[in-house]
Amino acid sequence: MRSTDTNQDTGLPGRSRRELLRSVALVALVGATGALTGCGLFEGEPEPPPAPDPLEPMMAGALDLAARYEAAIAAFPELADRLRPVAEAHRAHATELARVIGATPPPATAAPSPASIGGGTSDADVLRELRKAEQEGRDAAKKACTEAPADRAALVGSIAAARATHLEVVR
Amino acid sequence: MSEELAAALAAEHAAVYAYGPIGVRLKGKAVDQARDAEAAHRSRRDSLVLLLTAKGVDVPPAAAAYALPFPVTDEASALRLAVEVEERTAGVWRAALPATEGPERTRVLDGLTDAAVRATRWRRRAGITPATVPFPGRAT
Repeated sequence: MRSTDTNQDTGLPGRSRRELLRSVALVALVGATGALTGCGLFEGEPEPPPAPDPLEPMMAGALDLAARYEAAIAAFPELADRLRPVAEAHRAHATELARVIGATPPPATAAPSPASIGGGTSDADVLRELRKAEQEGRDAAKKACTEAPADRAALVGSIAAARATHLEVVR
Repeated sequence: MSEELAAALAAEHAAVYAYGPIGVRLKGKAVDQARDAEAAHRSRRDSLVLLLTAKGVDVPPAAAAYALPFPVTDEASALRLAVEVEERTAGVWRAALPATEGPERTRVLDGLTDAAVRATRWRRRAGITPATVPFPGRAT
């Protein structure tokens, strides 16, 4: 009995010491990590980028529509009288949206269009495609107007209405 | 919120009135176009009356007559007035957008959009180019 007790007595403190040592080591490790996090390691990291402005897709959409009209005018110059004011309106929308967002204003003049119109496409096909894109843009703008804060509602609403009027002249 | 909607109602009352003198100076398809436009303004007016009444707002009544911005003496001046009526109406609806939200804002946007589309149709009929403006309802 006694020897067993002694064994237990000498054994338990031994385990306790190991556990204690392990605990101390863990605390030291956590402390070190905490210190690194707090002081140095991540201090130079840049702030996460701000969430994109909800009107950014609309600005991109306006530039895309402008480019589509400009490509149509390049392919069918006889449509220029009808389509030019619409292309210009889309560019004006993009400029206003950029101002409200605080983004770099897009170029006021047309960039070389990546989406040129292939040969064999008729002007009727082109107008049909423009109408489809305009209709989608109009729906997106209508939704954006409903979701916009008060100080943006009038601008976005005017753009939605403008896109609806474009459907009157692009047919 | 109600003040802007009351202004829209006043504009719709005035538009309904203006299509009287406009209609009598037009011919052919333009007469139908004027009749459709007048019906659309009446419909907007009626739904605004219902909306404002539901809000418990005093609904402004129509005036007995409205001063036209210029005399309507022929087809050209009738078309010019039709364009102007729709542009003014669009402006009043646009001004109500920031004061509304949710489904009410959608209704207000419909008011702006319909007026802008009618203004474009009248410009086309009058041979005015371009038939569109970049920012309908915005003071230029």
